[in-house]
Amino acid sequence: MISVQHVSKTYKKTITALDEVSVEIEKGEFVFIVGPSGSGKSTFIRLLLKEEEPDSGSIYVAGKHLGGLSSWKVPYLRRNIGTVFQDYKLLSDRTVFQNVAFALEVIGKPKHVIDERVPEMLELVGLGDKINALPTELSGGEQQRVSVARAAVNRPLILLADEPTGNLDPATSQDIMKLLDRISRLGTTVVMATHDHTIVDAMRKRVVELDSGKVVRDQERGVYGVGS
Amino acid sequence: MAFAAISTTFIALLLVGLALLTQAQVDLIVDSTGGKVEVSVFLLDTISESQNAELSEKLTSMPEVAGVDYESKDDACANFKRLFADQPDLVNNLDCNALPASFKVRLKDPEQYGVIAARLEGQPGIQRIVDQHAVLDKVFRVTGVFRQGVLAVGVLMLISAGILIANTVRMGLYARRKEIGIMKLVGATNWFIRIPFLIEGIVEGLIGAGLSIVVLFALKVTFIDPLYGKITFLPWVQTSDVIATIPILLAAGVLVAVVASFIGMRRFLDI
Repeated sequence: MISVQHVSKTYKKTITALDEVSVEIEKGEFVFIVGPSGSGKSTFIRLLLKEEEPDSGSIYVAGKHLGGLSSWKVPYLRRNIGTVFQDYKLLSDRTVFQNVAFALEVIGKPKHVIDERVPEMLELVGLGDKINALPTELSGGEQQRVSVARAAVNRPLILLADEPTGNLDPATSQDIMKLLDRISRLGTTVVMATHDHTIVDAMRKRVVELDSGKVVRDQERGVYGVGS
Repeated sequence: MAFAAISTTFIALLLVGLALLTQAQVDLIVDSTGGKVEVSVFLLDTISESQNAELSEKLTSMPEVAGVDYESKDDACANFKRLFADQPDLVNNLDCNALPASFKVRLKDPEQYGVIAARLEGQPGIQRIVDQHAVLDKVFRVTGVFRQGVLAVGVLMLISAGILIANTVRMGLYARRKEIGIMKLVGATNWFIRIPFLIEGIVEGLIGAGLSIVVLFALKVTFIDPLYGKITFLPWVQTSDVIATIPILLAAGVLVAVVASFIGMRRFLDI
């Protein structure tokens, strides 16, 4: 599903974000990308979305070579990838329903499809009773759940999460992780960048550890730190 | 910001409209004086068939003459009615018989008027000979400068309006950058994002154009209509002339808006 081959990325000629990174991720896997700040996790995610291009190496997402993808095709790539970020990225002047519906509107899904899928998705994430609330009326955890609902409503092949629990307390973080796990079980490939030890340790999924842009560990059913 | 864009478009298109109407007015004057002819030979009502034919032959055979057209009394009457259609008092009070028939003579060299006039000296059937060129020359010179000046300023203002629209669009994009970022993340195509901003730019252009058209009508009614009764020897621009400017002004407004909007969006949406 995702194939990263010998990818390097440098910023401003001196800051090496990624150094000869190679990772293969199969369909349906749940993978944590871990490492300290600056280790290249966010860059990794951005490359998968083609928000940036690698300086060298190749990336294949859902069978497509990103390097050869023309810029007008990028939106169509991203429709197959749901994203969840640390800052939720919700539209503050729209309701919960509208925020999730947005992902379907933007790709031209008709109203009846939206009216069916959005409430379904909101039930799944446990926000069935907050359909008409505005983001400002929601807690951090609830906002992130809206974000997850939006990311998953299109039934994407891949879900990318960049520090999704960064602004959340431990209990809420657990709830979000349960959600992501559920989505993963439904067949979506999940790749999550994080430096939250507790979560990673609790779930025992595949762990790819980055340090200063290099892959130092790639372990099935791993924990955050070696020997923790 | 939108106000600035709309008002500049309005002023710009108003000036362009004025230039167009000035041109229309000039064309009407030329038309009423017999068209682009250099010499009008007005004929007496008493002219005989043979004298008419003789005169026609004489004129066409002159080497300085490029062409001759005959305007009968009926033609003259019909033309008058056409040119002064918006001034019914004038038309109703007209005694068609008072309009003479004439030969409209086009010269190869407009300066040769004197030569033609001299040759026709003493020819029977002629009421008078008018040097159109001299008359028209003065008209063209004055209106030409005016028209070109107005048009130049109008075009400059259209460019300003374009810049303002581009900036309005760019500011709008900047204000909605968070939303646009999310749209791109979620897989919206550039066109999906562009269209609302394009529409905004076009609406601004259309409002500016609409206002300019309304004001042009107002100006015509306020300044030209009173002249119908006062200065009766010239055909003045009519409502139909103002209506003729509408498609041009609307098209210009929309074109400038579209181009300006695209320029405003380019920097943001070329990811």
